Amino acid sequence: MKKIFLLLIFSNSIFSELILEITEGTEDPYRVAILPFKGDKKLSSELENIIINNLKRSGEFYVFQASDLLSTPDKEENIVFNDFKILNVDYLVMGNITNGDVVYEIYDIGKRSKVRSSTVFGIPNKNRQLAHYISDGIYEEITGIPGISSTKILYVTQENKYRLMVADADGENEQILLESKEPIISPSWSPDSRQVAYVSFETGMAKVFIQNIATGERSVAIENSSQISSPAWSPDGKFLSLTLFQDGNAEIYILNLRNKNLTRLTNHYSIDTESSWSPKGSKIMFTSGRSGSPQLYELDLKKFNSKPKRISFDGNYNAKGSYLPDNEGIVFVHRSNTNFQIAMKYFDENFVRTLTEAKMDESPSISPNGNVIVYAIKDDGMGLLAGVTLSGAKFRLPATKGSVREPSWSGYLR
Amino acid sequence: MIFSKFNISFLFIIIFLSSCSSMNVTEETVYSGDVKTVQASSTDNEDISYDSQAIFANATVYFDFDKTNLTSKSLQTLKSVVDALNDNSKLNIVLSGHADERGTREYNLALGQRRADTVSQYLILNGVESNRIITKSYGEERPIANGQDEASYAKNRRVQIN
Repeated sequence: MKKIFLLLIFSNSIFSELILEITEGTEDPYRVAILPFKGDKKLSSELENIIINNLKRSGEFYVFQASDLLSTPDKEENIVFNDFKILNVDYLVMGNITNGDVVYEIYDIGKRSKVRSSTVFGIPNKNRQLAHYISDGIYEEITGIPGISSTKILYVTQENKYRLMVADADGENEQILLESKEPIISPSWSPDSRQVAYVSFETGMAKVFIQNIATGERSVAIENSSQISSPAWSPDGKFLSLTLFQDGNAEIYILNLRNKNLTRLTNHYSIDTESSWSPKGSKIMFTSGRSGSPQLYELDLKKFNSKPKRISFDGNYNAKGSYLPDNEGIVFVHRSNTNFQIAMKYFDENFVRTLTEAKMDESPSISPNGNVIVYAIKDDGMGLLAGVTLSGAKFRLPATKGSVREPSWSGYLR
Repeated sequence: MIFSKFNISFLFIIIFLSSCSSMNVTEETVYSGDVKTVQASSTDNEDISYDSQAIFANATVYFDFDKTNLTSKSLQTLKSVVDALNDNSKLNIVLSGHADERGTREYNLALGQRRADTVSQYLILNGVESNRIITKSYGEERPIANGQDEASYAKNRRVQIN
């Protein structure tokens, strides 16, 4: 009975549209006033909506709009700083639209001065992206950290078919990269965010494919009769680390993408998989069952014949690790009691911080600025995406239809 | 003449920079980010092989969480598989390993493969030629029970012999 009901729902859906909702914000947000940009009225209100949503959903901003303010200056000379000060506004953003290009300015109310003047040249039919660029400029100016509104998220959906999808970081502008009747797992971005690697079962067993996002050109990463999985790009884009099963067991290899040479990295009768590169590409972290349960290990690629060093000790399941972009720690899947949660460990601390509290959280992926972690959760058996920022804000990217999983965050696209 | 012009414009830049030393000025163009959709053409002929292979050796063996060793019940099942294979020397089999949904997908893919390999090793030790066996894993991607409870998980931790 339940099965039939699910089938009916699935047959009606084409896309699993993602809608972002914030479940918790930070305690001490930046207070920013955004005035409608002058010029093209329609574009202005479209941009304003997206920018305000971007800032709000970062969890780090409280946004004032024109109707919340005592005065709405039309140019720099007419700004009455006290009108903003009295409302405890920290920053004021004003802008002009000319022929689809935007010039925006940011004023520091406390300093009573202009702190930024930026121009973003738009291109036709990319208004969302234009708004994301402006949002990222505002975010960067105020927080001192590059914004991630203009970045993308890759993920897999399953309805009647498997789909590899790409969407803006806010879940909008969802597009299909690949559609298949067979499972697709482990999507991963090239460092320049122009290509993706993933595992597809379309040939009857797991194989790693590389696909160009803009052209759709795709090919297997390497011709090999064994199962191949778990692709991860080196930070310079020249190598792909992979798991090969040709030795009668999962072992990690590095593939030179130019000459297709394979170098074996691990040699152990237990499972070795889920490799990931340190930000500078000098180390590889992976999951290994060599201690009797899945734990994280690290290999130093710069040292001759280096032995894997165990780096997780807390609990009996620590897997799928990735490095924070500043190399100050790692994020991974950690089991505490019977629950699988996303956890973080800084290298200079000797304890594990759990970031999530559901039962079956997995596939953490870190934003390029290191500030947000997106991951997959199960809600009533249905997969959806959720996120947590290091400042404590939490959000969900629930799918309205279908099951969503394995998010992977792009690099900067600006 | 040229030098003096250069000096004057250089001076202007200095004045401009010093007059607004704390202001950032930037310029950028939006990235197009076009996407092309691709359809994967499936060459997975597993369904066909299910039909064409004789059904004598069809069986499923089950495993404990994060374990790859054979239980006594599994051994019973595998003995009859060995008999079926010995009685039908032309029969080839596919062993597909599976895991339950708990834990990470890639680790589960490797776990499924280990389970398939364990079954393969048992069959080979009991006289089945290795060239009659293909092993592969679907990890947690093809559950047969969709519940989030131990009964469902137990059904999904399996090796299917076809």
